[in-house]
Amino acid sequence: MTPLIDITGLTKTLKGQDEPRTILAGVDLTVHAGESVAILGRSGSGKSTLLSLIGLFDRADGGRYLLNGNDITRVPERKAAALRSEEFGFVFQRFFLLKHLTAVQNVSMALVNGQGWLPRRKRKAKAMEALERVGIGHLAKHKPPRLSGGEQQRVAIARALVREPKILLADEPTGALDTETGNLVVEALRSATDRGCGLILVTHDHDHAAKMGRVLQLTNGVFDRESGRVVV
Amino acid sequence: MRLSGRFRSSLIIGGQGIRARKMRTFLSMVSLFLGVLAVVTVQAGSVIAQRALLSDIEISQGKDGTVRTYLPSKSSPVALELLKGRADAAGLTTGKAVIGEPGVKPLNEGGGPLDEGGGFRGAMSMTCDASGQCRPVEDNPGAPPGQAIEVAMKSVTGDIRQFRPFRVEAGEWLDSSSAPSLSPRIVVNKQAAEGFARHKVPAEMRVEGAVANTTPRIVGVVDDGSWGPTIYIRSDELLNWMSVESLSDERYGGVELMLAPGSTADLQQTLRSRLVASGVASEEISFQTVNSLKEMQSQLTLMRWIFLGMAGLVLLIGVAGILNVGLATVGERIEEFALRRAVGTPRLLLAGIVLAETLLTGLLTAAFAIGVGAVGLKAVSVVLGSREPFLQDVAFPWEAGVAGVIAGLVAGVLGGLIPAVRAARIPIATVMRA
Repeated sequence: MTPLIDITGLTKTLKGQDEPRTILAGVDLTVHAGESVAILGRSGSGKSTLLSLIGLFDRADGGRYLLNGNDITRVPERKAAALRSEEFGFVFQRFFLLKHLTAVQNVSMALVNGQGWLPRRKRKAKAMEALERVGIGHLAKHKPPRLSGGEQQRVAIARALVREPKILLADEPTGALDTETGNLVVEALRSATDRGCGLILVTHDHDHAAKMGRVLQLTNGVFDRESGRVVV
Repeated sequence: MRLSGRFRSSLIIGGQGIRARKMRTFLSMVSLFLGVLAVVTVQAGSVIAQRALLSDIEISQGKDGTVRTYLPSKSSPVALELLKGRADAAGLTTGKAVIGEPGVKPLNEGGGPLDEGGGFRGAMSMTCDASGQCRPVEDNPGAPPGQAIEVAMKSVTGDIRQFRPFRVEAGEWLDSSSAPSLSPRIVVNKQAAEGFARHKVPAEMRVEGAVANTTPRIVGVVDDGSWGPTIYIRSDELLNWMSVESLSDERYGGVELMLAPGSTADLQQTLRSRLVASGVASEEISFQTVNSLKEMQSQLTLMRWIFLGMAGLVLLIGVAGILNVGLATVGERIEEFALRRAVGTPRLLLAGIVLAETLLTGLLTAAFAIGVGAVGLKAVSVVLGSREPFLQDVAFPWEAGVAGVIAGLVAGVLGGLIPAVRAARIPIATVMRA
């Protein structure tokens, strides 16, 4: 079966003021549909950089990146935008909700991105459905300042899920939440894999990582070990 | 479909942005408002000035397309006979008349305008002796001063207002369809009307060459654009009291003919033939078509561009305001734009969102400025219309509205372009990781 993501020898070097700094030194990664992968690592180990390369926020310097078997290593920005819309869903540590919009509007903003067009009623229906999936349908009309951190993150997850992506990329989504709320958020993310969505979770939290199907440790720009399931 | 979706997306998101930052949008509009209003005002002013100027020129020169010719006084009998009963042409002879006490020096001997002091001598005939010394020729030698007003008298063969649209201030214009009256009906201009209002003079009219003084009836007052007191009289009513040959006298200033455009070829030919046959030299007959708009166009265009240039400078200040607010807004919304890029919004659409916001702001401002301009013009018309005839019932020119919309759009594009480019270049990874 063709993997959703098939990365080989991915490298990334940042050009600093003094001398170039290698962030990723040849990463290999394969993710299949419905699979959940946790990436652990110290700050500065390249976790977020890897995620931004997978999510096509940035381009790798070397290596090969196949998405559904298609080489997108050098994909132009226009195509990358379309892929971000159609294939990926993103959840960040900071929720990045728009304060002037309600929860349902924040979710439906992902549907107003110039990649196809949905009438207002359909946009709202899909956004409501996504909110219901993460269990906060009743908060649809609330604006972010009136929501708790966990609720805001769930709105962000609903925003990531509303376009029914094939891969969900989560960059330390529980970093700003307490343990209990973090567990709820991770559970909401993990449940997305039940529908066949791949999940890559970048986290510092070993408990949350343990809930994923695979755990990868990133050290000095490479994965130093890979296991089927880590129990901490 | 895709383009339509992107266009609609940019409008929706742009509208959300405006609603979310009402105060900032309002401040942008304030800075732009004066610029757009300046453009609207200049455009409206130039159109109204052009209309007013054209209107004044039409009164004195005739409407565009009118064919005019000036003929010597000796041709008056032939010209008047040819034009009798014609609706597509009119003739106008100029002489002078004194209305008031008989046998006295008029208050404004020479026919100049009357002022508060009682009179101002207008054009005077001069006589010079062999030594080169000149002195004015008295029109009424030995006559005592009295209550009379000298006016320029223009006898007309038909309704000359089809060629020169005099503005009727009171009463009515001469009715040329009725039988000629022995008591001549006259229409006076505003200067003459003011003179008659200021000085009580008897209704007796002296006309050189007339067999008797007549009793005129004033039937209307017009604004004819002339500076001195003038009366208009039907030529057939004037000719009840004098022979047509009298009009050939050199004291009469010749005859001016006005012919309607499109119906003049035969008439011009007939006139030329008859006049040449009556002894008028062919080279004295020259027909000219009035083309005032074209003649003044270049002058007005230059003025309009000068004022539009000044308005453009004011508009630039507004653009700088939008630009400033736009750049600040992009800086403030850097996370939003990065997020939008992350969820798949293309760079071009992101730029379109920012441009849509500034364009909507520009258009809203333009609509507001056009509204204020229209209301302001109405107010000026109401307040100053009685003093300035060209402002009476003046309509807001559509050209000013179009100029306002264009100014708003241009300001929106200029003010939004740099912020749009910046928004499109926001790096997702850097912002989302920060």
